[in-house]
Amino acid sequence: MWKPVRLFAFKRKFDFLGQRRPALIISTLINIVSIVGVLTIGLNFGIDFKGGIAIQAKAKDGTAELDQLRTIVGNLGVGEVSLQEFGDPSTVLIRVQRQEGDNQCVAGAQRVMQKTAGQGWQVKPGPAGTGDVEFTSPSALDAANWRDAVSRAGLTLQERQLPRGSTNTARIDMSVEQRAEWCQQVAIKLVEDAIGSNYELRGTESVGPKIGDELMRSGIWAVIATMVAIAIYVWVRFEWQFAVGALIAMLHDVISTIGIFVLFQLDFSLTALAAVLTIAGYSINDTVVIFDRVRENMRRYKKMPLLDLLNHSINETLSRTLMTSATVFVAVGALVLFGGPVLHSFSIAMLWGVIVGTYSSVWVACAGLVYLGLRPDQLRPADDKADQGDKAEKAEA
Amino acid sequence: MLNLPRWQTIAIAAITLLSALFALPNLLPASVLQHLPQWYATSRINLGLDLRGGAHFLLEADLRSVLTERLTNLSDSVRAELRKQQVPFRDVTVEAGKNLVVTLRDEANRSKALEAIRAVDPALALSGSGDTIRVAYSAQELAKRKKEVIDQSIEILRRRVDETGTLEPTITRQGDERILLQVPGIKDTSDLKRKINQTAKLTFHLVNEDVAATGQNIPQTVPPTTFLVPTREGMLELRRTNPKAWEDIQSANPRLSPEQICRRYQPQCLPVLKRVVVGGEDLDDSKATFEQQAGGRPIISFTFNSAGGRAFCAATRANIGKRLAIQLDGEIISAPVVQSAICGGSGIITGSFTTQQTQEQSLLLRSGALPATLTIIQESTVGADLGADAIQAGTVAALVGTALVAIFMFVAYGPVFGGFANLAMLVNLLMVFAGMSILGASLTLPGIAGLVLTAGLAVDANVLIYERVREEKALGRSPFSALATGYEKAMSAIIDANLTTLIAGVLLFGFGSGPIRGFATTLTLGIITSMFSSTIFTRMLLAVWVRWRRPSELVI
Repeated sequence: MWKPVRLFAFKRKFDFLGQRRPALIISTLINIVSIVGVLTIGLNFGIDFKGGIAIQAKAKDGTAELDQLRTIVGNLGVGEVSLQEFGDPSTVLIRVQRQEGDNQCVAGAQRVMQKTAGQGWQVKPGPAGTGDVEFTSPSALDAANWRDAVSRAGLTLQERQLPRGSTNTARIDMSVEQRAEWCQQVAIKLVEDAIGSNYELRGTESVGPKIGDELMRSGIWAVIATMVAIAIYVWVRFEWQFAVGALIAMLHDVISTIGIFVLFQLDFSLTALAAVLTIAGYSINDTVVIFDRVRENMRRYKKMPLLDLLNHSINETLSRTLMTSATVFVAVGALVLFGGPVLHSFSIAMLWGVIVGTYSSVWVACAGLVYLGLRPDQLRPADDKADQGDKAEKAEA
Repeated sequence: MLNLPRWQTIAIAAITLLSALFALPNLLPASVLQHLPQWYATSRINLGLDLRGGAHFLLEADLRSVLTERLTNLSDSVRAELRKQQVPFRDVTVEAGKNLVVTLRDEANRSKALEAIRAVDPALALSGSGDTIRVAYSAQELAKRKKEVIDQSIEILRRRVDETGTLEPTITRQGDERILLQVPGIKDTSDLKRKINQTAKLTFHLVNEDVAATGQNIPQTVPPTTFLVPTREGMLELRRTNPKAWEDIQSANPRLSPEQICRRYQPQCLPVLKRVVVGGEDLDDSKATFEQQAGGRPIISFTFNSAGGRAFCAATRANIGKRLAIQLDGEIISAPVVQSAICGGSGIITGSFTTQQTQEQSLLLRSGALPATLTIIQESTVGADLGADAIQAGTVAALVGTALVAIFMFVAYGPVFGGFANLAMLVNLLMVFAGMSILGASLTLPGIAGLVLTAGLAVDANVLIYERVREEKALGRSPFSALATGYEKAMSAIIDANLTTLIAGVLLFGFGSGPIRGFATTLTLGIITSMFSSTIFTRMLLAVWVRWRRPSELVI
């Protein structure tokens, strides 16, 4: 049997907080650069938040011809299109911008109708200002066949919308917003039809304008709510300086992670948001362990100057901090290497989060305690009682 | 601290074994599962659509247009009632999606007009002043209607998607006006999408009793006023006995008319008059209730708007004793005999029904009344091999990730302590699996990422404990005392660290949707169960180990 190896045990005690000024400058710079990056370059929002379509297709014969595809899909009249290789050279991810429901989409719907329901079909936009769409059939049809035909274009024909009198035109009334949602479906059909013969469709994602906006809103709320909830928890468990220090460290980590997304133009999707929230949780996790030790030492060494006390606590917990960071790091590393393209931006962000979360626990959260003027004799009475219990236990030992 | 009472040791071991038992069906190969009792073998974690392959649609019902439609119907009734009560009015207009505006000729008639409108429907909310009266559905009524429209849409969807027979769709309500449709294993979604866009069509016809009296199911000729329509039972029977024919009917393009279906496949059919007595758009509501008198049988009640009520009244008065066929989507769902003239705008269908049957029938009726248009507002379709790729990637990442963490722990804390921590990690994963099996949660690709992350995070509790034990050992404590104080003092940090991560996990679950929920589920479950596995479970292992080996020195 083997002996344990002390992986992260150091004989020397480091003066971590002696470096708090350079650290402060670096942290501030990173955060400013991140914020400026978000404001100028911007996040590369995925379709979850922006709305749009993403289609994954695999070439039936070997490699995907990106340039050729770009021309084909670009000429469909579905707006901005971007293509990228996805995972391997035969697979391509086609992204189409969110559809706004313009007249081009109605023209696209006519092509869909002519292909699926018959050559003579015409589709025209209704009066300006409305989202109405008019379908004209080449011949008289009964109600069942009307409904059947219109459903091929992805719309529902209601009883009242059937053609009246001798006309062959049915008008489907909808709002401009509804038409935009429908146009997502039209665009999917157009792209799928255009590439379907040479490419196997592996997966389709579509997020309409409405859901995109909703997800964006709830995502922002999720981040705010998480940070507030965690700060409140830390505040209840510790002094207010700890809560503020932890909150600043968490903000630092969240902002710099978003900076990483800007820097590498990683896809900022729902999974990325999950990464950001998890990083917030992890960052605090790391901070709280050190804070816990700081509090313990504050009771034990009431006369020790704060800087020494903090340094001492950080050194005492250093091997744990590094050990846990290392285990999480290797676990997330496995996700980066083997998790596949879907999890790629999530795992890269998490990897960064582990590093920055460890850094910020020491140089942001603890350094923050110094700047926030925490004094070692500043414990609440309730904590003092716990302290006495601690002493009693020590006497027994 | 390490002196565990026997019952605690037994309880901890029992919890561990029980979770292993619950997790096991997920890990066993199919060949072994065959020989196990079904209830046990089938209690497995569902794979999410991103791993399994399938389609996921979020649909939004267009409630505004349904409301407008209802208001238009209401305006007819209000007009009729005002005329009947001889209240002179200038106009009754519909404000789309909101309310009716009644403009009176003379302000003095206001109270009389209000009374007349209340006579139409006492639950209406009336406002306005002078010669204008605003008529709206009450908030309560609107909420009820909304719920009904969604129920109706879900029913239509279920019927449509089920027609293909091979799919196992899950259709659930999402919030006030949305429906989530999930269809695992579907390859081509274009048919499915078309079905979403076909609403139900309900019409009432009189049965041509002269033709029916011949007793033939499919008469050679029928008069030009009459056509044949298959009954619902007939079609269900056909589907059971002749699935091939059923499929042909579904895939026919152009669609077969009911008469063609009758002639070609000969299910049970009824000759009905082509003339529509009243259509679904005039049907206001339908409910499953009970007869008034004691021991009341289950019945179906229905209400028409005023136009529908008038037409229905005339038709029933002239045809007492004849059958009235209710046709939904080219099938006759029921053909009750007209007992008496039904003139109040509402009537009932009696018969020897069970409660379940009346509920089904009334839902069928409702699904033909003013169906809402459903719009796809989010779609996610994953092909089977994309799902297989994801499973492959997720499995490899999970195995490599946990293996690396395990190696780390072995190296850092040696075979005994490292081994205990790794055993705890294994138990933690088993407990997450067990928890997901019990909760019926789905495992998604982000969920696997959550598992991997949990594996890395969960050993943190052991790292905290072991590092503390090392410190206490360095202070010169005996092995037993070092272990006991190590556990005790690490506890507050463990709880704080886990609870903060838990907060993030729970909020993520609350805000997230779809696959992200999967991540939040495994992460949250993993943190909760790690509190057991990393502290309570390892403490038990150590307690047993210390008593057994009585080490003079801790190798940690």
